[in-house]
Order: sequence, then structure tokens, then C-alpha cells
Amino acid sequence: MKHFFLGKLTAHDLPHHWYTIGATCFMLVSLLAIAVIVIKTKRWDWLWKEWLTSTDPKKIGTMYMIFAAIMFFRGMLDAGMVWLQQAIAADSQGYLTATHFQEIFTSHGDIMVFFVTMGFFFGLMNWIVPLQIGARDLAFPFMNSLGFWLTVAGGLLINFFFIIGGHFGNTGWLAVAPLSQLEFNPHTGVDYLIWSLQLSGLGSLLAGINFTVTIIKKRAPGMTLMKIPLFVWLSLCGMILIISAFPVLTATTFLLWLDRVMGMHFFTTGSGGNLMMYWNLIWMWGHPEVYILVLPAFGMFAEIVSTFSQKAIFSYVSMVCAAVSITLLSYLVWLHHFFTMGAGANVNSFFGIVTMLIAIPSGVLVFNLILTMFKGNVIFTSPMCYSIGFIVIFTIGGMGGLTLASPPADFQTHNSLFLIAHFHSMIVGVALFGIFAGTTYWFPKIFGFKLDERLGKRAFWLWLIGFFVAFMPLYLLGFAGTPRRIDHYEASTGWQPLYIIALVGFVIIVAGVLTQVQQLFVSIKERKKNLDTTGDPWNGRTLEWLTSSPPPFYNFAVIPSVKSPDAFWEMKKSHQRPEKKYENFEMPKNTGMGIYISIFAFLFGFAIVWQIIWLAIVGLVGSIVCIILRSLDEHTEYELTAEEVEKMEKARVTG
Amino acid sequence: MKQFKFSLGICAVIVGLLAIFYVLQHEKTLITHPKGTIALSQLWVITTNYILMLIVVIPTFIALFMIAWKYRAKDPKANLAKEHPPSLLKQMSIWLIPLPIIAVMIFLTWKTTHELDPYKPIKSDVKPLTIQVVALDWKWLFIYPEQGIAAINLIHFPERTPINFRLTADRSPMNSFWLPQLSGQIYAMTGMVTPLHIMADGSGEYVGRAAEINGKGYAGMTFLAKSTSQEEFEKWVAEMKRSPLRLSEKIYTELSHPSIDHPVTLYSHVEEDLFNTIVMKYMQHPTKI
Repeated sequence: MKHFFLGKLTAHDLPHHWYTIGATCFMLVSLLAIAVIVIKTKRWDWLWKEWLTSTDPKKIGTMYMIFAAIMFFRGMLDAGMVWLQQAIAADSQGYLTATHFQEIFTSHGDIMVFFVTMGFFFGLMNWIVPLQIGARDLAFPFMNSLGFWLTVAGGLLINFFFIIGGHFGNTGWLAVAPLSQLEFNPHTGVDYLIWSLQLSGLGSLLAGINFTVTIIKKRAPGMTLMKIPLFVWLSLCGMILIISAFPVLTATTFLLWLDRVMGMHFFTTGSGGNLMMYWNLIWMWGHPEVYILVLPAFGMFAEIVSTFSQKAIFSYVSMVCAAVSITLLSYLVWLHHFFTMGAGANVNSFFGIVTMLIAIPSGVLVFNLILTMFKGNVIFTSPMCYSIGFIVIFTIGGMGGLTLASPPADFQTHNSLFLIAHFHSMIVGVALFGIFAGTTYWFPKIFGFKLDERLGKRAFWLWLIGFFVAFMPLYLLGFAGTPRRIDHYEASTGWQPLYIIALVGFVIIVAGVLTQVQQLFVSIKERKKNLDTTGDPWNGRTLEWLTSSPPPFYNFAVIPSVKSPDAFWEMKKSHQRPEKKYENFEMPKNTGMGIYISIFAFLFGFAIVWQIIWLAIVGLVGSIVCIILRSLDEHTEYELTAEEVEKMEKARVTG
Repeated sequence: MKQFKFSLGICAVIVGLLAIFYVLQHEKTLITHPKGTIALSQLWVITTNYILMLIVVIPTFIALFMIAWKYRAKDPKANLAKEHPPSLLKQMSIWLIPLPIIAVMIFLTWKTTHELDPYKPIKSDVKPLTIQVVALDWKWLFIYPEQGIAAINLIHFPERTPINFRLTADRSPMNSFWLPQLSGQIYAMTGMVTPLHIMADGSGEYVGRAAEINGKGYAGMTFLAKSTSQEEFEKWVAEMKRSPLRLSEKIYTELSHPSIDHPVTLYSHVEEDLFNTIVMKYMQHPTKI
């Protein structure tokens, strides 16, 4: 009976460690504080109607950004705890137990990849993709809201082990089998990992489908495929990767869960299970995934460098070809993550060679950016600084990547801190720098005022210096034979000084993050000084700068027609603007259904982690019923007439 | 002020490069101080790749900074002279820049991957020594089938003699066997045998590690490898034979239970065919775990 109501839950699963108690208190107090503020200021109605139930991609984008930023602080705390442990754990256990240490880097990886990097990218794409292709909305506005809330549900679930359970997986971010099997991981930590990735993976898949369809179907008249802005092109490549790769993640982690709970033998050590199959499957998703994380950033850098060099990109065609070839090649390289499994020389060299081929389009990307600056008039704003930083770090990281791509070299550098340094070069130097550059660049479009430049540049320098101080020692530690993920080591190895330097680098990065927070607050406080009244603060080239900052909720009163990739630049040069001929059009209504479905999905995820069958059924049936109800609702849009639009446009100009 | 910051930056880069050089030449940097033929060749691959890449990367960096400096906007408002988009041929020419280097690297990869395949025995006049390795939670068991002895977390082998490792695992997830100064990694997995061939150039002591996360005892799963002259190795084997401990099936079952920081243990006798029994255990159906 008890098992029916509570599943595997016992009193022992309530918080009783210092970190679970601390995190639980922190989460409850924050929730309480937000609730008090909302109730005191009577903002609940506003919050619900204007934000939470919104189907406006600009608002969903902002919510993605806020969510990703919150998760970023969680992930950063994890990084700090890992580095601190490693800096002090020479000839001692440090301040963390081995299992706790392993849980921390596991959640660091999952949070940074699924919720921070992807969250920020979806946020930026929601902000900018419709504006750049001259669309009023995404193809499926409700699906957009649902995708966001499912990601939030996943993010909640990944942090929920603090409150109930006390354990996360200690398997590394990919939950590698057989370490993630029940035999080696009997507590529910791995289940939390699996189901939070299931929920957020579903959210990402929905977003991927949505953006792909939007980019294919909703472009402004005249915008052929070879005239869409590069950020949109590279996002499209990323989204196609999501559509084709994420189902693999869903299936693989689901099979792992069947192994764990249903006693099946897909990836077990005995009884015909094949542990190597898990590695193949998870990396068939995992390698495209890392390109999902960097492709949109490449696109942002292309646009930023072009705008601030005040010159068209050197070779638009090459850029698109490079993006498409990276997309295709990314499916063919997964085995380079485990050359050391002993596949044999022919297989290993095939995957090594394909991996090296990726260096060609990557090189083209870099040369393209440099040649765009050539003979330009380069303005060094902070997004431009991040772009230069990106080129430097990406090249250094790429050299590490090519080293790892050669199987004999990989045997020595695999699973070492050299590898850690390589992929952090890519994730920090490309993805995060792209996110910072893109956010600074497009912030005035969404909020109507620029971010403070002086603090932005200071943050850039702290990030850049911090990056080198934190990650260069890791490259060297790799050469010193340091495996990744170790919680303590012998002092005689001589690793400690390098670990300490890395920790100093982390402190510098934290100073950079705090500067960014300060930058945000100062910019909001002094927004009058940095107001953007023109809608075009950077002398931009693409369509998003045509409309006002912030844009009206319908983005464009009149959909412009497009003649070149730099559509807005052409309009400015020829002094032509779209005619003010207003037409009737339809806009999506707000809906809370995304939230309801995600609440049920969260309940389902939580229940299935603890094997509470009745709650799992409630969650599953509830979410399905909600989806059916939503499908039966035929009044999901309302019409704006030409007169209403004209009235609003006039009010905006005078007001 | 600007000039001061600029020189400070240059100084920081120089100090950084010197520090990198200092660490790489330091004897505790194991990979740049190989003591065996395989590790030496692997270091050669790493170095050659880096030199090849730097041929492109250094000019790229110089071009990047020179262009960024030369074309910085003195007057941000200044409109550029009319833009002339480069011809398609010119645009596509940037694909040629990385091509030759990548071609050389691909050729090298094919060649060295086959030469340094861990499955490939090392050519030598000396008769090779076989050592079977079993990764257990969280210790390494080394079995010398020819000598009939075994040791935990310690291997001893003669110098300039090819060593044929055969690796597997038991009741442990995936493991990676790594002796940085002698060779790169190879995985040890349950129900499977992976080979690895190494040869030490001289006598010495080397630290080996597990390099794939496998649970809470992961960081402590280290072992010591000693290479000595043939005579000293034979002396060691004779000494081992006097050890009172024998690795019977019962003792092995106890041993296969998880333990952290297991001390070095020497066994004078090993159950015959123990290694194959361990591997085959996972082939049978159903397995009791």
C-alpha cells in the first residue's frame, strides 16, 4: 500500500545534507520572496497575462534568457565547487566526498549544455529569427510556449533532487552505461538525470521543429534561401540537427531507464547487454549536439563582424556552404569520442579523417570573418571584442580538437584535462562569447536601450583573461597525464599549482559575470542615456533594424519585401522604405495551456523517478487531455484590422 | 595609458608562453617525457600535428591583429567607398587555405593510426611477455599467465621487452587503462578483451591510472609500473613465488567486491585460466550479478 502511494520515497529522501538543506532553503526562500513581491505589487495578473501565457516570441525569448541566466548561476556554482575541490585535494580528500564531487560535475555539464547554452540560444532565436526574416510570429506560437515551459519543467526536475532524493547521477553528463545502471547507481539520481533530459529534450525538439518550419515557410516576400541573414541560416542548420539528433537522445535514455527499472538488458554488463552500444548511440546524438551549441554562435559572429566592419560579409556563399558541410559532417564523427574502445585502425582512421575534414569549413569561417574586417571601418564595440576573442579562442581550441581527432594522439589526450580544456574552449569561447556578443548586440532592439559599453568592455576583458588563466593550465595538466573527473590526487604529481592557477582564473571569470550583472543594472537605471529612438542603433544591415526598438508585438506593420541578404542596408542606401499600406492580419492569442501541460509533464517526470504509479498516470493523462483540449480549441487567433494597425502605428510614432 | 596597456598585454602573452614552455619541459609533464617506444611515437604525432597547424594559425593570428588594427574606425560615421563584392572565384579561394595542411594531416593520421594501432604487436628480437589485466572496482589485477603469479596495483616487467597486455573488466563499468609515459589509453570492458602493446626503453617507475569514471573509488585507482633489467625481473618473479598468498577462486570472488585504495598485494599462485573464466562469465546466460 505504501509503495502504491509513495513509490520508492522514504523519509530518508528528505534533505539531510548541508548542501541539500541549503539548496532547499534557498529555493523556498527565493520562491517566497518572488511570491511576496508579486502579491504586494499586485502584479500577478500582469505577470500571467503579459508574460507567462504569452505566445509572443520576443517575450518567450526574454523568459528563455532569464531562465538560462538563473541556471547559469547554478552551473557556475558547480564549476567553482569542482575547481575548489581540485585545488585543495592534493594528498587529501578536500572538502567533498568522491560521490558528491562526481554529482557536481555531472549536473554542471547537464545544466550548462541543456539549460544554459541551449536556453540562451533559443532565447536569442526567439528574439531575432522572426524579425530577421520579416515574420510577425513563429509558425507554431503555442508550440513555442509549450517548448519553453517543458524546458522549465526539465530545469525544475534537474534541481528537484535537492528537495527530494539528495542524489544526482554521478556518471558524467551523458549518464554513460554501464556506470548509470542500477548495479552501480542504485539511487534515483540517474533517473532524475534521465527524466529532466527527456522533458527538456522534448522542449528542444518542439522548438527545433518550430524554428525550422518558421524559417522555411514564413520568410518575407523575395527572401529566397540564399538571401536569409546568416544568423538565421546557421540557426536553421542547428535546428535541423536538433530534429534529427534529439530523438536519438530520447530513445537512448529511455532504453537506459528500461534497463534500470524494468530489468531489461540493453546496455548492461551481462545477459547479452551491450555497453558499447550506449556509447555509440549517445554520441550519435552528442556530437551533433555540440554543433547545435556552436552553429548559431557562428551566425551571430558573422552578423556582428559584418555590421561593425560596416561591410558585407566577405563571402556569404562560403559561409552557407561551410555551415551546411559542418552540419552534414557532424553526423559522421561520433566515434572519435571513443577511439580508445579498440575499434581497430581502419574504423578509427575513418572517423579521425572525417573529423579533420571539419577543420576546412571551420577555417573558412575564420578567414571569412577576418576578410570581412579587411578594408572595412571596424568599430570596436563590446560585441566586436567578443568576436575577436572568439576567433582567437576558437582557433586555439580547434588545434586541440584536431589533436584529439588523430587516434594515436587521442590515446594520450583522451579523457584527460586536455580534452576538458578543448571543449570548454569551444563552449566558452564560441557558444558563451556568442551569447554575450549577441545579447549586447540585440538588447537595444528588444528593450529599446543599449547596454552600458564601458562595463561591457570591462566584462569582456575579465572573461577573456579569466578564460586563459582558467583553461590554459588544463591543457598543460592534460600533458601532465591528469585524467578528467578526479576528486583527489597525490601531491607528488605536481598538479596542484596548475589547479590553483585554474581556480584563480575562475575567480576572474566570476568577476566578469558580476560585472555583467552590474552592467545590466546600471544600463536599466541609466536607460535614458542609452535610449535607441531610431530602431537602428548600430547602423545595421538586416531586417530586424527596420522596425522600431522595441518592436510592436506584431513586429512589422507592413511586411517588407527583400532583394539581398543585407535587406535593410539596401533600403537605407536607396532611401526606400516599405509603403505604409496596411492590411488585416491574424495574431495568436495568449494561452496558459503550455504551462498546464508542463505542470502535468513535471508531475509525470517526478512520479516516474520515484515510481509512484498513480501520480505518473495522473501526469500522463493530464498532459494528454490538455493537448486534446487545446487541439479542439479553434479560436486560437484574433484578427487585427488595417484600421487598428494604422491607429497603433500612429500612436507609436507620436507617443 | 593606451601604450602602457598594450605593452602590459604583450608582457602577459610572453609570460604565458614562457610558463607553457616551462611546464612542457618539466619532467613531471609525463606526455612530453615518454619512456617507451609507443608513447614516443604518440608524442611525435601530437608535436607534428601542432607544428603543421601552427603553419596556418600563426599567420592567421598575425593577419587578424594587423587587419583589426589597420582598419579600426578612426571615424565611425565615415561611409565606406562603394562596396565591391569580391568575385565568386575570389570568395571560394578561402577554401584552399586550410586544404594542403589538412591533406598532410589526413595522410599522417591514416599512416600513424595503422602503425600505432594498439592491436599491433611490437617488432623485436626479444620474446614478448604477456600480462593479463583485470579492472576491478577500484583496483587493477595483473596476472602473469606464463609465470603463474598475480599482483594488485603493481606491474613489473623487463625493459626493452615487448609487453602484450590483454585487458578485461569484472563487476566494474567501463575502465580506461593509462600509462602515460609508456602508451596511450585503451578501455577495459566486461566480457571483452582489448589488447595493448608497449615496450619500455629503460628501467624506471611509472604511474598508471584509470582514466574513465567508474564510481567513487575512481581517483584512487592508480598503479605502479616498474621496468627493470631481465635479471631483476626474474629475481622479482622468484620472490613472488615465495609469497604466502594464493589467488584461488574464493579469494578472487572476495577481491572482486568493491574496495577503495586497495594496497599492493602479491600472489604466488593463480587459478589456471582465471582470465578466460572472467571474460567468459559475461558470455553465459543468464549472468548473476
